[in-house]
Order: sequence, then structure tokens, then C-alpha cells
Amino acid sequence: MLSPERRPSMAERRPSFFSFTQNPSPLVVPHLAGIEDPLPATTPDKVDVLIAGTGMVESVLAAALAWQGSNVLHIDKNDYYGDTSATLTVDQIKRWVNEVNEGSVSCYKNAKLYVSTLIGSGKYSSRDFGIDLSPKILFAKSDLLSILIKSRVHQYLEFQSLSNFHTYENDCFEKLTNTKQEIFTDQNLPLMTKRNLMKFIKFVLNWEAQTEIWQPYAERTMSDFLVEKFKLEKPQVFELIFSIGLCYDLNVKVPEALQRIRRYLTSFDVYGPFPALCSKYGGPGELSQGFCRSAAVGGATYKLNEKLVSFNPTTKVATFQDGSKVEVSEKVIISPTQAPKDSKHVPQQQHQVHRLTCIVENPCTEWFNEGESAAMVVFPPGSLKSGNKEVVQAFILGAGSEICPEGTIVWYLSTTEQGPRAEMDIDAALEAMEMALLRESSSGLENDEEIVQLTGNGHTIVNSVKLGQSFKEYVPRERLQFLFKLYYTQYTSTPPFGVVNSSFFDVNQDLEKKYIPGASDNGVIYTTMPSAEISYDEVVTAAKVLYEKIVGSDDDFFDLDFEDEDEIQASGVANAEQFENAIDDDDDVNMEGSGEFVGEMEI
Amino acid sequence: MNTSVTSIKLVLLGEAAVGKSSIVLRFVSNDFAENKEPTIGAAFLTQRVTINEHTVKFEIWDTAGQERFASLAPMYYRNAQAALVVYDVTKPQSFIKARHWVKELHEQASKDIIIALVGNKIDMLQEGGERKVAREEGEKLAEEKGLLFFETSAKTGENVNDVFLGIGEKIPLKTAEEQNSASNERESNNQRVDLNAANDGTSANSACSC
Repeated sequence: MLSPERRPSMAERRPSFFSFTQNPSPLVVPHLAGIEDPLPATTPDKVDVLIAGTGMVESVLAAALAWQGSNVLHIDKNDYYGDTSATLTVDQIKRWVNEVNEGSVSCYKNAKLYVSTLIGSGKYSSRDFGIDLSPKILFAKSDLLSILIKSRVHQYLEFQSLSNFHTYENDCFEKLTNTKQEIFTDQNLPLMTKRNLMKFIKFVLNWEAQTEIWQPYAERTMSDFLVEKFKLEKPQVFELIFSIGLCYDLNVKVPEALQRIRRYLTSFDVYGPFPALCSKYGGPGELSQGFCRSAAVGGATYKLNEKLVSFNPTTKVATFQDGSKVEVSEKVIISPTQAPKDSKHVPQQQHQVHRLTCIVENPCTEWFNEGESAAMVVFPPGSLKSGNKEVVQAFILGAGSEICPEGTIVWYLSTTEQGPRAEMDIDAALEAMEMALLRESSSGLENDEEIVQLTGNGHTIVNSVKLGQSFKEYVPRERLQFLFKLYYTQYTSTPPFGVVNSSFFDVNQDLEKKYIPGASDNGVIYTTMPSAEISYDEVVTAAKVLYEKIVGSDDDFFDLDFEDEDEIQASGVANAEQFENAIDDDDDVNMEGSGEFVGEMEI
Repeated sequence: MNTSVTSIKLVLLGEAAVGKSSIVLRFVSNDFAENKEPTIGAAFLTQRVTINEHTVKFEIWDTAGQERFASLAPMYYRNAQAALVVYDVTKPQSFIKARHWVKELHEQASKDIIIALVGNKIDMLQEGGERKVAREEGEKLAEEKGLLFFETSAKTGENVNDVFLGIGEKIPLKTAEEQNSASNERESNNQRVDLNAANDGTSANSACSC
């Protein structure tokens, strides 16, 4: 199913690889195929694809193209990897904030930064912290996870589990009832509610096939569907839509919400009793480094600190700020943040994502499941005193994730609310978290009666993480020590829920549109900025759409199969054939699973 | 025979064409190595050797060319327990670069990293090549910075094994018991999730076609 024009794969293009494996001569030491290329003295004169920006999408794309056989030059105007997905030190954040406010980082605005003197000159150093610009969680059953394994990029990374998903309601945090077992054993849920919840969970695992159930509601909201069709009540409806589904507001339509709820449920128990994973040392910043390394092993050339100045679609020559030039035989792919001066084709980035990142000097261990150092807190619409209409999501990472030192914690808050309201909502969420934490860590309030409590509408709820009772009655004696606060607005062309619709990634589809005289970016393709989506779900879809535009088909997207390490070690015999199979490019090994991810999640 | 295995992440650094990869290839294809076949994958090259009844598993990371335009990622240095900084004894420029890498390692890598400074291509001296970096210069740098020092020929294999043996001997090797308790501790404390161990019994490959 490969297109006839398909380039030879990495393995096929390595003459040294085969000469070594077929004529193993003890005296001649050949170059180490598959591990290091002989380095050309300068930047290549001609490449197949030029990619500017080392964010998640661009890095996955670079690795896919490199292993497919394309000659890739991958640059970034920054002196670090990650671009829109970077994991930065505090000093790097300082520089970045200045650049944003000077207007030299497009797609970001209104950056505000507070850094305590304890960082830098005090007990912490800038490099003790790794702050993600767009933090993400990885669902255990997802297209990106499959590709991480397939490409072996996961071997560069360490993953930890994330099992605590809290909903904030009635001034307290409730831990999610997320397993069938918990539903059955939860003494406080009325029997009827349990039955209805089980009925819904059974339905959602195979919802598409049961059109008779959901089709009549296809254009209505998810909460209508859950209340009318499954007779669920508000606490369960909110848990399903906002904590399990991680949806952004009550307007979410039925198919979108069903797919997102299923994403959580099918991910649960794949690796253990948790649905999601986080990478250590940083999120997308770490993953993009891994994919860039994979691309480099596959033959891509890397150059940080390199800025594209212009591309001439007639001569196909790209010019860089340092004066060097490269001829690009196929496509130039640019992240909107790396657009050259005088660019005229950058897609409109009309959706705002507001983000507040805080480092707090408090271990906050009570927010995590035992042994974990990550948690998710969701503030549903109407739960905050700002009267929020959109959700505020707070992703929490502790020292065990190695992004902050012992005794500190990082809070990543974000909302899809647009305009000035967004900052008010985020501030209200921050205050709620601060109050909950102060009350929790205050020794005078240690007691057990808060474990079970009555909510306003008479339902008993289990507050298993002890995140407190109404904080209205409690005035904290001390304030939290904030080491760092960073607020910014990020712009994206991908609307909330856009991840499920592949057409949003076709924003650059109209490539043949008229070139604009004087534009520095005629003929280039722009990638998408990260959306508000907290999972990685959009990344592979976006990379794949771009891959198809370049290669003509996505049949061999990450179509690689490395010989299993243990098999080789077990056999232990010098055998040329084993080497030939080391990088296997068989047609029949297709990533069918990931091929289906556009528009829906696979079970 | 003690069955404990100590894994060592080893990174390679040095100017282009000084023979970084050749040293590794010589090491992994030598008789001295336990199994002759290196593993070639996208990740890194692994090689087990037995030193004093302990098995040391080297995970050897190549720069994959990313050092060429000063574009090595922090991930490359992270948790590296050992590094080979390689230069070419006939190229003084490569020795200057080696100093740079040693400095870089001390800044970027973990504090207790074991660094071996390796002057390669000594075979060229017998073939009429001119030595441009004196042995004493290398020794001096190694002494100043607390590095292991070797001069090698990847071509003939001279001294190559000693580099890895030297590193292996300096790595604090754990007894089997220590190893077990250490790994258990790590399991519970760090909650590391092995992505190849899905509960539904699917292997890495079948997980891809889910």
C-alpha cells in the first residue's frame, strides 16, 4: 500500500550498513550504522523537507519523515528544544516573558511573571525547575503512546502514573469515582444512581454502534443526554463530563463528550489502576526532545539558534538569518511562532488559552495518590466565586516528577474562557486551591469528620482526599509561599474540542492560493499551535495530516519495526541476517490503529 | 557467579570524525564482549560485559550528530553515569573541543559522572602520521579534572576494552541484594511505568495496532 514514489527507507539508504553486515571484516571498522552518520562539514545544500520549530507536532513529524527516508533539516530559532511545547528553567522563562512582551514571540500575549528571590539567589536555582509552556497528560490508550513504543522513543523517557482526578464542587474537592469497583463499593451512592451509572458506562464503551440511544441527542448537550436518558444527577453528570471527559463547558455535544469519556475509561487499567501518564523531567518539552533525537538517529540534521528569514517558492531556496541557504526539494513546514518577518500567510489564531503556572513551597502530598506525584483538579462551570462559565483545569505536579525540588509543587491552571473573564476565573481557581491547601496543611484542622460530609442538596459525598470542607468559614493563619507565578495568554487556531475533528488541521490546505508579493512565507505550510487540550491527543493527528501532505500518503507513518533487543541478545550468534532485520521496513507492518484516530478514539 | 546487573548510561562526546562510533563498535564487536552482536535500534546501543563477576550493561548513547550545531538536548546528558570524551591525537583542534566537552559535562551532567578522556587514532602514528597532542597533555587535563585517561586505536583495538573496563570498575557495583532492594525502592518511590507492560498482555508491538 505504499505509494510508488516512496523514498527508500532509512535502512535501504545506508550502504555502509549493508556492507558491514554482509562482509564483516575484523580489520576494517565501519561507521556505526543506525547510530551515527558521518557528519558533513556544513549544513546540507539541499534537503527534502525543512521544518522550523521543535514543538511536539513538528518533532513527531520530523521523526516520522526521517525514518520514512526523507532528508530533513530541522531548525529552531530558540537555543532550546520544544518551542511551543518547551520545558524551561526559570531563567529561560524570564527571557521568554521578555520576548513575549516585546512582541517577538507570536501567538503569546500578556505575559506576567513573578519570581521569588528564593529562586536564583536563595535556596533554589533556576535549573531546579522545568516549567512546561503547554503541559500535557498521556492517556494510557492513545495514538501517541503507540508511536512512542513503536519508535522506541519511550526508552529515552520515564513515565509515571496519574490516577487522581478531583472535581471541585460545593467548595471542596471530591475524588473521582472512576472504576466500576468503586461505584459498587461506594456506600454513599444511592442504589439507583449506581445502576444508572453502570448502565451508562456499559453504553459508552461501545457507543457508536448504539445509534438508537444517542442519535436523538446528537445535537443536544451531554448533560441533557445524561439527565434525560440515563437519569443521572448533577454530581455524576459533572464527574462524567468534566473530570472523566475533561470537557470545557456544559455546551459540549453528545458525540464529543462520549468519545472523551470513553478515552478515559478505556485507558484505565491498561498499565495499572490509573488512566493517564506523565513524563518525568517535563512533559511535551521532554517528548519533543525524544522525537528530535529519534529523527537525528534517522538522519535528520538539527540546528538550534537558526531563524528562517524567507522562502522563495520559485527557486525553492530558504534563507536563514546567518546568511546560509538551503534548497528544499519538497516542503517547508513552519510553526506559527517561527514565522519569518514579513510573513503574510500565518493562519489566524483566534482562540485564546489562558494559562497560569505557579510554583508553591509546599509538598501538597495530600493531593496525590500514594506514591504518585501528579493530580488533576477540575473546576466545573459555576463552581468558582467568579461564576465561571468555562472549566478551569489545574494540572498538579510534585517533586517526584523531577520538575521541581523536594518540598515544592507546580500548579498548571488553564481555561478556555475568552477575554478578561478568563483571568478572573483562573484567579478564583487559584484562590480556591490556596485556601484548600492552607486549611489542609494547618495542623489545627486535622480531623476525620471531613472524610464524609453532606452537600447542600442532601447527598452524602465521599471526600476521600480530605481536601476540606467549606473554606468560607476558615481564615487561614498564614499565606502560601509562592515561589513563582507566570500568567500568559496563548493563541491557537484549534478551537476547544478541535482535537476530535481532523478538518481543523487542514487550515493550510489551501496551499495553492495566490502568493502575496513581498511575503517571506509564500508556499510554506504552517503547523497548528497547541490547543487547550490537556492530553496529547491532537499531536499525532496533526503530524499525520502534515505527513500526508508531504509524502502523499500516511501509509508508512512510523512504519518501522526494530528487531527486538532481547531476541538478538538471546541468540547471541554473529549472523548477518539479523542485522538486515534490525531495521525492518516490511510493508505488512502498518500502524492501522493510529490510522483510525482521526475523528475518533479506538477502544 | 553473581547475577546482578548494573546498568550504566554512557554518552559519547567529541568532535566529528575523531572515531567515537568506531571505538564503540570495536568494543561491542570484540571477542572480549560477552555477546558479539550489538543491538542496533533507534534508541541506543547496549552491551553487557562481566567485570569481577558483576555484569555491567552499558547503554551507549551517541550524539546522533546533534552536537554539530551545538544542538544537543538536555535529555542527552540526563542521568548519564559515564561519558567518553574522544579526541584525535593527530588533530589539536579536537583536543580543544574535548576540553570544551569536559567543561560542558561538568555543567550539564550529574555531579558524580565518570568521564574517560580518550585520545584515539594512535595507530596513525605508526603509519607515519604526526602526533599533535602529546600524551602528557591528555594526562594533565585528566588529572586536573579528575578523568580517566586512555590512548586508543579503534582500528587495531588497542586499549579500547580498557576504556570500558576502567569505567566499569569505577562504577559502584551493587551486590544482588542491594540491586534488588534498590530496584524495589525505585518501583515504589518513583512509580515508574513500563510502557511495554500493558495489563491486557499485549506486547509492545501488538499495543501499536490497538
